[in-house]
Amino acid sequence: MTFRTQFEKELEELKLSLIKMGDLVIKNIHLSLHSFVEMNAELADQIIKDDKLVNQFEYDIEKECMRIILREQPVARDLRLITSVLKMITDLERIGDHASDISKLTIFMEKNNKPFLVKQVHKMADESEKMIKMALESFVNQDQTIALKVIENDDVVDDYFNEVQHIVAEAIRQNNIDADYALYLMMVTKYLERIGDHAVNIAEWVIFSIIGHHRN
Amino acid sequence: MINNVFTIKNLNLFYGKYQALHSINLDIERNKVTALIGPSGCGKSTFLRCLNRMNDLIDSCQIDGEVLYHNDNVYNRNFDVISLRTKVGMVFQKPNPFPMTIYDNIAYGPRCQGIKDKTELNKIVEKSLKNSALWEEVKDRLKDSAMSLSGGQQQRLCIARAIAMEPEVILMDEPTSALDPIATMKIEELINDLKQNYAIVIVTHSMQQAARISDNTAFFHLGELVEYDKTDIIFTTPKEVKTEEYITGRFG
Repeated sequence: MTFRTQFEKELEELKLSLIKMGDLVIKNIHLSLHSFVEMNAELADQIIKDDKLVNQFEYDIEKECMRIILREQPVARDLRLITSVLKMITDLERIGDHASDISKLTIFMEKNNKPFLVKQVHKMADESEKMIKMALESFVNQDQTIALKVIENDDVVDDYFNEVQHIVAEAIRQNNIDADYALYLMMVTKYLERIGDHAVNIAEWVIFSIIGHHRN
Repeated sequence: MINNVFTIKNLNLFYGKYQALHSINLDIERNKVTALIGPSGCGKSTFLRCLNRMNDLIDSCQIDGEVLYHNDNVYNRNFDVISLRTKVGMVFQKPNPFPMTIYDNIAYGPRCQGIKDKTELNKIVEKSLKNSALWEEVKDRLKDSAMSLSGGQQQRLCIARAIAMEPEVILMDEPTSALDPIATMKIEELINDLKQNYAIVIVTHSMQQAARISDNTAFFHLGELVEYDKTDIIFTTPKEVKTEEYITGRFG
């Protein structure tokens, strides 16, 4: 039995807001990659605008966390949960920034570039998105096993990044790629690699909220 | 071990047939504030009163187990209870100054111990009032009745009265529950200063207070010590589900 039904409700709403923020961020990453591969400046423009919504989520959740701390003075698992949410929204916001960054590159890009390494870049984006989804799932279910899988999966994204790096370097040497496009491609894949890192951070905060300390 | 003033081993306490404490094992550390928390009737105040044998005053109360004060069981027949209560002072929920002057309240204990010298008594009174953060407020009215002080001042006077006996341990049974937030804050600040010289054991119903001022926290439930650990651990990562449920307000 619980005496804190209102508090429980507030915590559930907080979790729900975080999930909504996560869904928006995943959508933006997904579309930003399409905008890059398809060189769709219009779509890119929309994602840049939508990043403001991500920032607004961060602001609102932060405010709600502070309000709960003030009013409910949470301890133990509640305190860990709120602390973790405060940290996770920073990572989600950064992921949102990277979606926006990829979209900005799309806008600067020449329209006549020949798409290159589309398959690998898509795979890399899929893996990064999957990691964010799993990190959020581990948070909702407070499931350490899923969180640990996210952390393990970072190597997959890193491997794709290294693969792209080598292929692009070789293509530059062979003069098979436009110099600007090569740079953009490397930047996009670096953003995707960073997104994987942020997903790992989120998973680590999930583990903290469950066990109360950071993994070694 | 050397830093423990009290070591409690397998302490059981009965009020008649009702068992109020079950096999309590706990150490009280020197220069630390130990908070006792738990719902009403959990045995925390009963436990506190075992430390200076205040439960002796209750006829039906029976105790077994050991309450070791520097390795001597305070429940041994030949243990000097008067000297125990000199070394283990107590402050209660409701301030209880004696109906006499501020000065005499502090000087009462030392006088009982045979100190008659006026200069020495003056020194004790001043030192005790300074150490209880009351001196500046009362130094010009030491001959006024203690009853003229505010609730918060009266409680600090009671702390000064305990300090005057140069105790080693101060027991506090919900010392701020009758005080307003400002007076509470002053007592909490004072507790933080006092631990430089004393071990403090405090019973509190305020979880926030326990988290703010104590170094160690013991959670009691139905006469059992459920969990005892560093306060930071109890309030962030308690090991027992029951502790977590209580401190997060899921039961009580």
